[in-house]
Amino acid sequence: MSVSLQSEAIDVAAEYAQLVGDSPGAAVATFTGYVRDHSDAHAVTELELEHYPEMARNVLEELGQSAAERFGLSSWRIVHRFGRLAVSETIVWVGAVADHRGEAISACELMMDTLKTDAPFWKREQGPTGEQWVASRDSDTERRARWQSRETQ
Amino acid sequence: MSITIKLFSALREALGESEFQLDLSDISEASAPVDVAAIKKRLSQRGAEWKEALNQPNLVHALNHKVVFIDAVVSEGDELAFFPPMTGG
Repeated sequence: MSVSLQSEAIDVAAEYAQLVGDSPGAAVATFTGYVRDHSDAHAVTELELEHYPEMARNVLEELGQSAAERFGLSSWRIVHRFGRLAVSETIVWVGAVADHRGEAISACELMMDTLKTDAPFWKREQGPTGEQWVASRDSDTERRARWQSRETQ
Repeated sequence: MSITIKLFSALREALGESEFQLDLSDISEASAPVDVAAIKKRLSQRGAEWKEALNQPNLVHALNHKVVFIDAVVSEGDELAFFPPMTGG
């Protein structure tokens, strides 16, 4: 039931063991995000992640708590990197433990869809033609909106 | 009244500042509350690049670490951040 903002690599095996050890449950779902070697338009050789530390922590803690309430999680964890990242390194890891698979999977999806648009991180890609800030995607905003429309049903 | 302004990402780069104190004693002495719109107006007076950067359509404002609308009222000691749409994950 916690958040980590870190510059160092994410130890996925250790995170998983900790998540399950904290609260053994029938259903465990996790998601791991890695640095891609390309964007829509060009190759990517390195990624820099700027963040707003105090706000990022608050947003992610509230997100984890709201996912726990909505899906009845017995445990959750959100880990997000900042700083310079090489291609294929982990950027983000989320995990959720619940009684049933639907709740655990949905909780991971909610946490990922929401953190992409609501948590204050900004990606800057390094490629063959230099550096550029990554623009927000309408598809991310649409995925985020799906959860809001379900909340009001 | 004085507040802390923070700028992030492309906005920070474009304006060359990441954090500073903004003295608002002149406008906060008026009876009307000071909102985010008033702060944007004040900062836009710093020059054309500030005006352009702070009036881009997708600009996000966060008051004390919460995203707020432009009519949110600021108080002494508050932290107001401006930044482009977020792209984490």
